[in-house]
Amino acid sequence: MFDVITNYFTNDWQALILVSVVCVCLTTGVLSPIVVSSRLAFFSDAVAHSTLAGVALGLLLSLDNPITLMVGVAIVVALIIASLRQVTTLGLDTLLGVAMAGSLAAGLLMYHAAEKGYAGLHNYLFGQVALLGPTDMWALVACAVVAVVVGARWGNRFFLLAVSRPLAQARGVPVARYEFLLIVLLGLVVSLSVRAVGLLLVNALLIVPAATSRNLARSVRGMFWGSLGVALFAGLCGLFVGDYLLLPPAPAIVVVAVLLFIVSQALRPLLGHHVAEA
Amino acid sequence: MATEPLLKCEHVTVSAGGRKLVEDVSLTLPRGQLVALIGPNGAGKTTLLRAILKLIKYDGRIEINGRIGYVPQRLQYDRTLPMTVLEFMALTLQSRPVAFGVSGRVKARVQELLESVGAARLARAQLGGLSGGELQRVMLASALQEKPELLLLDEPAAGVDIEGEATFTELILHQVREHNTTVVLVSHDLSVVSDITDQVVCLNRTLKCVGSAKDLLTAETIAEVFGGHKAVYGHHHHH
Repeated sequence: MFDVITNYFTNDWQALILVSVVCVCLTTGVLSPIVVSSRLAFFSDAVAHSTLAGVALGLLLSLDNPITLMVGVAIVVALIIASLRQVTTLGLDTLLGVAMAGSLAAGLLMYHAAEKGYAGLHNYLFGQVALLGPTDMWALVACAVVAVVVGARWGNRFFLLAVSRPLAQARGVPVARYEFLLIVLLGLVVSLSVRAVGLLLVNALLIVPAATSRNLARSVRGMFWGSLGVALFAGLCGLFVGDYLLLPPAPAIVVVAVLLFIVSQALRPLLGHHVAEA
Repeated sequence: MATEPLLKCEHVTVSAGGRKLVEDVSLTLPRGQLVALIGPNGAGKTTLLRAILKLIKYDGRIEINGRIGYVPQRLQYDRTLPMTVLEFMALTLQSRPVAFGVSGRVKARVQELLESVGAARLARAQLGGLSGGELQRVMLASALQEKPELLLLDEPAAGVDIEGEATFTELILHQVREHNTTVVLVSHDLSVVSDITDQVVCLNRTLKCVGSAKDLLTAETIAEVFGGHKAVYGHHHHH
């Protein structure tokens, strides 16, 4: 087990994986409390599914590295959902269901047309850290920096918005601008993390860390650091133990995070937290 | 200029979906007054407040010569969100993310604000666990942080006072007398009008009447504003 870990610090290729995974977990750990508090879980899931369309478009256009297209398509889909939300009377869950299915189906059609089949598709669905290159790593490092800077600069505004949109509005917060910023940021983060953890699992990393820390925290501060801790611990633990047991890292990371969630759920009654009435 | 009015509305009309929610309201409020804005449910009271806060589009002119504080009506929020009252107040008081902690300066300021509304012991409480009266005081404290000259309270709930603390009315009166704030109490309930009210404004889409409590609270004006439901007045008249 010790050898497995030290290899990540001595071997260049594995170090690249380690840095990428840590960046993904740092990003999602920081953003998770905002996503969960703002009830954007399904939203980020829909954005994740739309990244396949970006990948497929890249393949159709024979691009070597479709990162820019993935990010672009994800952000466009996110903005379409956000603007539809303003004009439709449908519930957000319904709208997201349509967007998720629509973008996934369009992505599958384009993928099939480009590759004459579904070979290699699992790399995008389930993630494949082994396929990450230096470009991916640097993109993830940049993504982590952006997430930390945005969180530090505007985190307070996002939490005020999460408490109450009308209240934030009355306090002079340009609500629409902040929602737009959050949506673009989510599109960026999700689409960049997809290659590492897969579009089916990236959302878990945005939801589970804060879901876990919320179970135990009594303050924003507790929720934030708890979320970051859960994300980083799950990332490293899943990567190392997964490697040791010859398991794929992405699902291993998510399983560790979910196990922590189950533990937090079990511990919750012991802390005697008040049960908030609906 | 001390003589200019704090708030001046001229022919304010708010429309939505072809319907006029508020029509041709002209109103002037001086400083340091306790004002009751009353009218039945759906009379456009909250709409008028939202226009004054510049949250919605309106026709006409609204001129405000001072800072506004606003305590919204029965705030709906996520009660499961882990957030202390201190953190909630700090969200708008410091630029440092509250996740990194609340600075000593802001802690002292929050404590001072909470004390001023008789809620000093609530700083460490969870926002989600507050009672209706406690939440109202926290929201009032939060609205006071900008030292408002015009304070708008949408449907302040009656009878939600914290044991052993000054009543909500006493706190409001203190704001008016000591800080020369004009406080507007908005309600569908005539019980907000009392002998300390300086001015009563009756709204039912259009402005029905403006004047002192004594002059206005006659059976005729009540009937006009509330559409003949005199029972509303009778119900609260037993004090």
